Amino acid sequence: MQASRARLFKEYKEVQREKSADPDIQLICDDSNIFKWTALIKGPSETPFEGGVFQLAFSIPEQYPLLPPQVRFLTKIFHPNVHFKTGEICLDILKNAWSPAWTLQSVCRAIIALMAHPEPDSPLNCDSGNLLRSGDIRGYQSMARMYTRLAAMPKKG
Amino acid sequence: MGHVDDSPASAAAAAARDAKKKRGNRSSAKLKQCKLDARREQWLSQVKGGKEAKVRTSLTGTEPNAGSLTVPSPHPPLPHRRVDVRSRGGDPEEDKEETGSARHDLGSSYVDSPVQSPSSDNSGSVGGMHRKHYSNGGGLSLSSSSSAWSSSRSVSEAEDDDTGGPDEENGVLDDWEAVADADALATDNCHSQQISGPMVQPAAPNVCAAPANPTGRQDPIRRTRAWAPDDVFRPQSLPNIARQASFPASIGNCWMDASQQVVHSSPLTCPICCEDFDPTDSSFCPCPCGFRLCLFCHHKILEADGRCPGCRKEYVAARLSRSCSMGPRY
Repeated sequence: MQASRARLFKEYKEVQREKSADPDIQLICDDSNIFKWTALIKGPSETPFEGGVFQLAFSIPEQYPLLPPQVRFLTKIFHPNVHFKTGEICLDILKNAWSPAWTLQSVCRAIIALMAHPEPDSPLNCDSGNLLRSGDIRGYQSMARMYTRLAAMPKKG
Repeated sequence: MGHVDDSPASAAAAAARDAKKKRGNRSSAKLKQCKLDARREQWLSQVKGGKEAKVRTSLTGTEPNAGSLTVPSPHPPLPHRRVDVRSRGGDPEEDKEETGSARHDLGSSYVDSPVQSPSSDNSGSVGGMHRKHYSNGGGLSLSSSSSAWSSSRSVSEAEDDDTGGPDEENGVLDDWEAVADADALATDNCHSQQISGPMVQPAAPNVCAAPANPTGRQDPIRRTRAWAPDDVFRPQSLPNIARQASFPASIGNCWMDASQQVVHSSPLTCPICCEDFDPTDSSFCPCPCGFRLCLFCHHKILEADGRCPGCRKEYVAARLSRSCSMGPRY
C-alpha cells in the first residue's frame, strides 16, 4: 500500500511535469483519492475515432504496480475490444501481460494503440467484432464513427 | 504508516502526509538530486551568462530576436541540455553556419571520425571566428552554439593536437565559409581583442602552455574552447565532461529503455516503488535484460508472477537461489 502511494505520487508529479509531452493524453488524479484517476484521450487520427475525446476511468489496486490498474471507458465507444455497456477493455497488458514497469501514461498509450488496431478475434463487443471479422470494414467504420460523433464529440449548438 | 484508510477524504491527506514523511526519510538522496539540478542550472546559466557577457558590448539590442527562429537541427537531438542553448539563432544564413560548426563539434566529440578528428581544432576556431565576426557585425546574435558545443569537447584532445597558428589557418581556409570570416576577423582583430579582453583571462593558463600565438588570433579561439579540467578558473559547477559523454552510452542501454520513463529523471530510484536505491540495490541487477529494481520489489515480484518487469521473462537465476535458500515451495 505504501509503495503504491509513493509510486502514484511519483507518477502524478511526472504527469504534472510533462503535461505537454503527449498532447493526446490528459491524466487527472482525483482530488481526494490518489487511487482514482481519470484520463482524456484523443481518438487516433485516420481511425473512425478521430476527432473524439474519450474519457477513461482508472481504479488502481493497492498492490499497484504489481497488479495492473483497472481501466474502463466512460465514453461510449464502438470497438471490438471494449464492452459497449460497461466500457470494460480487453487488453492483454491490463491482464496477464501487465508489467510493473508500465505506468498510467503508458496504459493510455496502449489504449490509443488498441483503438487504432482492434483485435476482432477476442471481442467484447460482438457486433463490432463480427463486422470486422466478416470483412465489412466500411460497416465497422461507419458505426464507430457514428458513435464517436454521438458520444465523444462536443454537441453542437 | 501502517494505517489503512480508504475513505476518499482522508486518503489524499494521508498521501500528502506519507509523502512528507518519505521526503524526510530520503532527504539525503533528495538533496543529492537537488544538488545535481542546481549544478545543471548553474552550468546552463554560466554558458548563457558567459555568452551574454561576451556579446553584451555590441549586441544588447538583439536579445528580443533571440529564439524567434528555431534552428532546424540536422542531427538527432542529443540527450544533453546543450541542445537547448543553441536555439538562439537569428537569421537563416547564420543558422546554416551554426549548424555547420555544431556538426563539426559533434564529429569531434562524439563520433571521432578520422576525417573530423584532425580538424577538431579548426571546428573550434571556426566557431570562434563566426562569433567574432557576427558580434562585430552588430545586429546579429550568433551565439552560443559554437561556444556551448566546444565546451563539450574533450579538452585534452584539443590541447594535444594543437599545432599552432599556421596549421590552424590552413585548416580554417578549407572550410567553405571560413574564408570570409577569416578576412573579417583579420580586420576586426584589434576590436575583437578589446571585446574579449576580460573573457580571455580564464583561458590564460592554457595559452601559456600552448605554442606562442604571435598573431593574437588564437585568443578568440581559445575563448571558445572548453576549460581544461585542471584550470583554476574553471567554474566548479561545470560537470565532468568525460562522465557526461559516457552517460548515454553506458547507462542508457540497460536503464532508460527498460524502465519506461518512470525513472529517467532520477535513475537512482526503483522504477517500481520509487524508493531510492540503497548501496545493495544499486549493485543488484537480477535480470540479463538490465532492468533493475530494489530487492524489496524483486522479492515481491518473485512471490507473485516472478517475471522481470523489463522483459517479462522469468527470473531464472533468482528463482534457483531462492528455492535453495527457502526450501521447497511447490
